[in-house]
Amino acid sequence: MLATRAVGLGPSLRQTAFKPARAQALKNIVRTNFAKRMIQTERLKPEDAVNILNSQRLKRPSSPHFTIYQPQLTWIGSIFNRVTGVALSVLLYGFSLAYLFAPSTFDSEHVIEFVKGLPDAAKYAGKFVLALPFTFHGFNGLRHLAWDSGRFLTVKGAYSTGYAVIGATALSTIYFTVV
Amino acid sequence: MSSSLILRSTIPKSLASRSILGVRQAGSVSYKYVPGGPIYKGTANDPTPFPPSSRTHGSYHWAFERLLAAGLVPMTAAAFVTSGSPYPIIDGLLGISLIIHSHIGFDALLVDYVHPRKFPIMGPTLTWTLRATTVAVMVGVYQFNTNDIGLTELIAKVWTA
Repeated sequence: MLATRAVGLGPSLRQTAFKPARAQALKNIVRTNFAKRMIQTERLKPEDAVNILNSQRLKRPSSPHFTIYQPQLTWIGSIFNRVTGVALSVLLYGFSLAYLFAPSTFDSEHVIEFVKGLPDAAKYAGKFVLALPFTFHGFNGLRHLAWDSGRFLTVKGAYSTGYAVIGATALSTIYFTVV
Repeated sequence: MSSSLILRSTIPKSLASRSILGVRQAGSVSYKYVPGGPIYKGTANDPTPFPPSSRTHGSYHWAFERLLAAGLVPMTAAAFVTSGSPYPIIDGLLGISLIIHSHIGFDALLVDYVHPRKFPIMGPTLTWTLRATTVAVMVGVYQFNTNDIGLTELIAKVWTA
């Protein structure tokens, strides 16, 4: 008895001693149930956390990125290098496969005859269309090799070499078109 | 006294394992893993996986690619100065180098845009298609250089046609 009072259990002990136990228990039950607000709670499993997160993620849009980047010499030059490389390679692969599967149609005499028969304007246009990717890819390739050896790896360097490549491409394309 | 406190404070390993806590992998029931997309594998605490490191696919590949590209410049100049047919070896070397250079370029396209991690079927299919095509192109260029006038002379003649 003395120990309970010292620990602080005196009042509760007095309550249970002087009130009937069953009524007390009933009162507690009624009080705790009334004390809850009338809300519905749903019981979730731990994996539902991941499922809710994933269902929300699937509905999220992604912000514009590729479509809004300001055109700059750096990445325009880079993608143009790739496009010209692909175009020239497709031409090489296409012609080689055509010669492999139909050698009599695509052998050199036929090709040269075909080109000879074209009007002059088409010949100049064809030379221009072939010279531009080739020279740009060549000069930009040299620019890439300079970067790989550690040179011009600054913004100024990238821009100055970029303009040099564009200038060299223009001059050499004109040369190859008219020669 | 302190040691027993430390021992008591660590969670037993069985409780810490994920199976008992009931955390599911993302590959289960409703949400399929999308590479590069909004659904991830595992939970937010799992580390990012990395591809295995290898010099063949790494530094050696890089060095070979740059050496080949650098070598293309004098080879092209030499081939067009000597103009093809009298010097078939230069022409052949240029042809092979151009094809390998193109193949590495196409492979870079596939790795950038159709990576096997995101496209588990298309990626490897296209890679092997590219390899087969490159072999066929090499055969074609060999045939053209042997049975016909060769690449450099064709370009020279078409240019002045």
